Amino acid sequence: RRELPDGGARPNAAQFKQLVVTALRELHGEVGAALPVDVLTYEEKTLSAILRVISSGLVKLWSALTLLGFYQNRRCAFRVLQTSPFLLALSGNSRELVVD
Amino acid sequence: HAALSRRYVLCEVVSEDPRCRQCIEDRALGLAVRDAITRVHGDYGLACCSISFTVKYLNAYTGTVLLRCRKDSYRLLCSALPFVRFLESRGQRYPCFLNTLHVGGTIRTCQKFLIQYNRTQLLRLLQNCTNEEERQCIQKSLLSCSLTEEQSQIRDEEDDDGTE
Repeated sequence: RRELPDGGARPNAAQFKQLVVTALRELHGEVGAALPVDVLTYEEKTLSAILRVISSGLVKLWSALTLLGFYQNRRCAFRVLQTSPFLLALSGNSRELVVD
Repeated sequence: HAALSRRYVLCEVVSEDPRCRQCIEDRALGLAVRDAITRVHGDYGLACCSISFTVKYLNAYTGTVLLRCRKDSYRLLCSALPFVRFLESRGQRYPCFLNTLHVGGTIRTCQKFLIQYNRTQLLRLLQNCTNEEERQCIQKSLLSCSLTEEQSQIRDEEDDDGTE
């Protein structure tokens, strides 16, 4: 999930993807930018997205997102909430499960 | 010993522009290679390869270059070398490309390879000679070339872990 401190223009899905690719390009060069990343879902309201990447590319993607600090000259940050090899697991956050 | 392993990459600079030979110097070449690594592998790649990166040996007449880098990042370096498209010096850009000849663990193995390679190149030049004068020159060089300890131009440097 992206966090923007002020209420500026929010990116749409295509701009979000562009941002992810730009982050990869800065940290890992053209090889990183060529990493096939898919944006499966994107909510403009919460700026949340589910990204899909090949498992060997997880480290590159996560490190690139972590180190991206700016969007259109505004400070921003990526927070990775959950990673899982299965899409179904992302529907609920297992850390918030309460055991009775 | 094995913790400080390095790889030595031997390449040659090929250019159609004869003025390119003038800017075969360690600073220009180092900058060009680092720029290529940044483009291809980003900040991470540049940082990885810059540890222990130097231009160890240069020969402007033959265009031979010996680069050194860490063993862990030589693949990043080698994959970025084809992306060097020009050398820049004094504000001028001269198009060229780098041909990777050999990757070795010590300077000595690269030197042995280079001597062998130069011999075969001389032979090939001899075959492609167009006039008699050049032929004589090359034949003289061929007959006089021999490996003696005093003639080694590259400073000896031992790599401790013994891998060659």
